[in-house]
Amino acid sequence: MAVQVLSLDDDYYLNFCTKHLARNNPAKSPLWQFPIIDTSPDDNHLSNKVSFIYQSTGTPPSEIGVFGTFDTLHTAIPMQAVNFDGQSTGFYALTVRVPIGEVHRYQFLVDGQPTLDPINPQRTILDDKTEWSRFFTDYCSYPIVFEEWEYAILRRLVDHILPFRNQDTQNFLNRFYDGLDKSAQYATKEGFHRLDASVGEVNYIDKLVARQEIHHLPTYKICLREIDRLLRQRNPFEEPQDMAKVYYTDLYEQMATGSVPGWNYSAYNNPNYFLQVLRRHAVLGAFSHPKYGGNAGGAGWAYLESKYQDSQGDTLFDWRAALERPLGTNPDYTG
Amino acid sequence: MSQFDVIIIGSGAGGAPIANKLVKAGKSVLVLEKGPMIDAQPQPGVGQSGFKRDELLADGPEKKLNIPGVSNNGAGYYHSHVEPDINDEPHIYLNKNGGDTATIEGYTAQVVGGGTQLYGGVSLRFTENDLRLKSFNESRVIQNDDNDDVKREARDWAISYAQLEPYYVEAESKVGINGTSANQQKPFSQDVYHPPLNPNPISQFAFNGMVTLGQQLGTNIQPYRPPLAVITQNHPASGRIMPADPESAKTSYVNRFGDPLGLKSNTWVSLLRPIKDDSNFEIRCNCTVTRLKASADQVNEVFYLDPAGIERSATSTLVVVACSAIESIRLLMLSADADSNFSQRIHQNDLLGKYFLTHCFGGASGIVPERFDKSKALDADWATDTCAVTSFLDSQGLWAGAAIYNNTSDQALPVSLFRTLGAQDLDTLWNGFTGNAGLRGDNLINYLDGNFGRGLSVSFMANQVPQFTNRIELHPSVKDKWGRPVAYIKKDWHQHDRYLMDVMAQQCTQVLRNGLGNGAPVSGGSIYMADNALARMANHILGGARFGTDPNDSVLDPNCRAWHFDNLYVTDGSFMPTSGGANPTLTIQANAFRVADHLLGRL
Ligand SMILES: Cc1cc2nc3c(=O)[nH]c(=O)nc-3n(C[C@H](O)[C@H](O)[C@H](O)COP(=O)(O)OP(=O)(O)OC[C@H]3O[C@@H](n4cnc5c(N)ncnc54)[C@H](O)[C@@H]3O)c2cc1C
Repeated sequence: MAVQVLSLDDDYYLNFCTKHLARNNPAKSPLWQFPIIDTSPDDNHLSNKVSFIYQSTGTPPSEIGVFGTFDTLHTAIPMQAVNFDGQSTGFYALTVRVPIGEVHRYQFLVDGQPTLDPINPQRTILDDKTEWSRFFTDYCSYPIVFEEWEYAILRRLVDHILPFRNQDTQNFLNRFYDGLDKSAQYATKEGFHRLDASVGEVNYIDKLVARQEIHHLPTYKICLREIDRLLRQRNPFEEPQDMAKVYYTDLYEQMATGSVPGWNYSAYNNPNYFLQVLRRHAVLGAFSHPKYGGNAGGAGWAYLESKYQDSQGDTLFDWRAALERPLGTNPDYTG
Repeated sequence: MSQFDVIIIGSGAGGAPIANKLVKAGKSVLVLEKGPMIDAQPQPGVGQSGFKRDELLADGPEKKLNIPGVSNNGAGYYHSHVEPDINDEPHIYLNKNGGDTATIEGYTAQVVGGGTQLYGGVSLRFTENDLRLKSFNESRVIQNDDNDDVKREARDWAISYAQLEPYYVEAESKVGINGTSANQQKPFSQDVYHPPLNPNPISQFAFNGMVTLGQQLGTNIQPYRPPLAVITQNHPASGRIMPADPESAKTSYVNRFGDPLGLKSNTWVSLLRPIKDDSNFEIRCNCTVTRLKASADQVNEVFYLDPAGIERSATSTLVVVACSAIESIRLLMLSADADSNFSQRIHQNDLLGKYFLTHCFGGASGIVPERFDKSKALDADWATDTCAVTSFLDSQGLWAGAAIYNNTSDQALPVSLFRTLGAQDLDTLWNGFTGNAGLRGDNLINYLDGNFGRGLSVSFMANQVPQFTNRIELHPSVKDKWGRPVAYIKKDWHQHDRYLMDVMAQQCTQVLRNGLGNGAPVSGGSIYMADNALARMANHILGGARFGTDPNDSVLDPNCRAWHFDNLYVTDGSFMPTSGGANPTLTIQANAFRVADHLLGRL
């Protein structure tokens, strides 16, 4: 089925573009805001409105389009010029509807030339070594930047930060996820929430350092390799993901002091800083809006909801009341 | 249209009331607004808003500062989707070591509606004395003021409370505010408030503590429901419709969040959206004004960068600048740099940028014995004026009073609980949590048990002593993304400010001790104690172009017209000669309605 192209006002695009893209000097912050991934209450949040933006600074292209895996890979969909007050702005835009939970690659076709998106810092390199621009939609659970062994180590580390691994919590989460399976809510695509056996913090971190905090990706890559090496040195008999808890607690405490015996400080000089970043990310993953990939189905919030109740058994964290359907129950806020 | 009666620069508290009133009177108005248009849903349950109940949108993912030469270069920072990226447009302040630090403080929000999109909506009036602090203090004894600065630097406003009062009523009614007027220590000719929603039960402790404080101070002044810019009934003036359950407006996604339902009375939904389809009104969003050009005493051209960054200009009979004080001062200074006639007129004395003000603020926080669902709250539930009356000020030797109110929505949501642990301001978000590695696993549970739904804080908002040396300048080397000099903020707290903050923080501490019992964990403090005390502004950006009756002692005349210009007005918070004993926005709005009447008289 061909992808659905949406037609939006020029102002819609300008409201995102001007702040980040109109400038005389090169941007110093990564422009992760592009392509624009917007919510779609009109189809019950089952898709995102995805808007590609191309900015032409010199002579305007005579033909400009986007092709990618969100549609047939081989035909470019034309982009429209964005005008202000009847005059061209140099911005070109295309909005398509893409289901939630997906990862795609794409390129622009500028006067017949395939071109990587110069704005979006996300790139992916295929097995055949070709490079593409990449985006993913909300509620995405495919691993994007971390490999399986990295996920495994991160899960173990995060278990020491967040309280989701004791027996009570595990029982709670199992019941919560079973309930979600039965109610078949949109936010729990097949297999999604089971990813971490916790509340999806590592999936969240994968998405965060793939996009908004892409500047932390190198830190993660270097430190996870370092941790893997250290753990194998300390225990040559098991895979890091299977090692006893004490290996991880020791490591955590050492990282917290900044002094980790055996750490290669010339590869990364501040393990304590990495721990700080990881702790902030873990907490965000547990309690941010589920569309960012953690807090699966609201599991982190539901944990607080069930833990904190008054003497009548009414919850003292009624988070659903404020939030959009179907995640929450608010009849007025569409999300 | 290309020629307008009035161009208004900035669509926030200082700009929108003027647009509303002039357009309704048939005058043609162009609003130039730097930020994007982020509308609310057209109605409850209908459409979609760009504002979300989403904690990550409100304080953003981390970015890394990249401004060589500043002390915090390389540090992480956070901003909401409607605050500027400080890599692109920093504010720089002079830090206590004499170096430069980049800060997000000093911005409100850059979006249609300005700071009122993110604000907590606390919409208090100033007191009668707040507008006459010079005369009030003439024969009083002031503590902790070794050089008699207070008496020398205090100024009466160019208008009295009685002159402003009808405009308070106008603002309260057109903006849409809920609250109660009984027990407020300010005269009200009319009470046009919507009825308040039920307070969150946690606030009962604050209420009890405030009642007792009134008794202890001998004023016996009772608390009131603080005016909040959130409608609780249909609001015909703006066409806004209340959801079926008004109590559902309490979500704690309030302070620092744009309201997707538009129940929070930001200036777009309350004042501009109602006129948006009028043929004599135009708003150009994503347009940054870069300079004003004058010939003799007439500003005759307003230059701006359009959404693509291309320079354009527009002309009008009258020009109103309302960019929020720091940015307005910067715009005037940049205009002066480009035009010697403009420069001579705006620098007719050396006061532009001087007497920059924010508020003395601080308070106390404590842990209540039970847990409450704090996720159902607006920003504040109870307030008291017991520390704003003369008997209290006399007993303490204070030059001016403060409003005291409890915050209800603070730390109500889980991410904010962690993000603001040990941090009160935007520059130090997350530091408390990330610096405490012991907060993990079981300790994290203990922390949640002890704090989630149990924190109660009480704040005060008080006048800051005006000082010539507290000022806005253009930074000599740091430029914005257009290559234009950014604002440079130099300020410090006066000796009397510190004393006043100590006294007021004690009163807030007393409120909580009264409410929670003497053994309860309560701690108090004020902003001057913070490490970055010199940057902090409580989002209240005031002064720098004060109005007055003497051209040698003020930048603006009593109608907020720049002396020596015929058609240039400044109506954001920069006109204030003193900062008032309460949050400033309602007063900015009331004054803007007043100036609008004056402008109508001219057109
Ligand atoms: C989180 C938060 C909470 C707050 N809580 C409260 C509260 O509870 N009570 C209270 O009274 N106040 C509160 N405030 C403060 C309140 O927002 C401000 O006092 C108020 O908005 C100031 O009005 P203003 O007109 O001076 O500026 P603003 O309302 O900020 O409007 C200025 C506008 O000018 C635009 N602009 C700037 N430069 C240019 C340019 N060069 N060209 C074109 N447009 C430009 C900006 O984008 C902005 O929209 C809060 C602020 C924040 C951020």
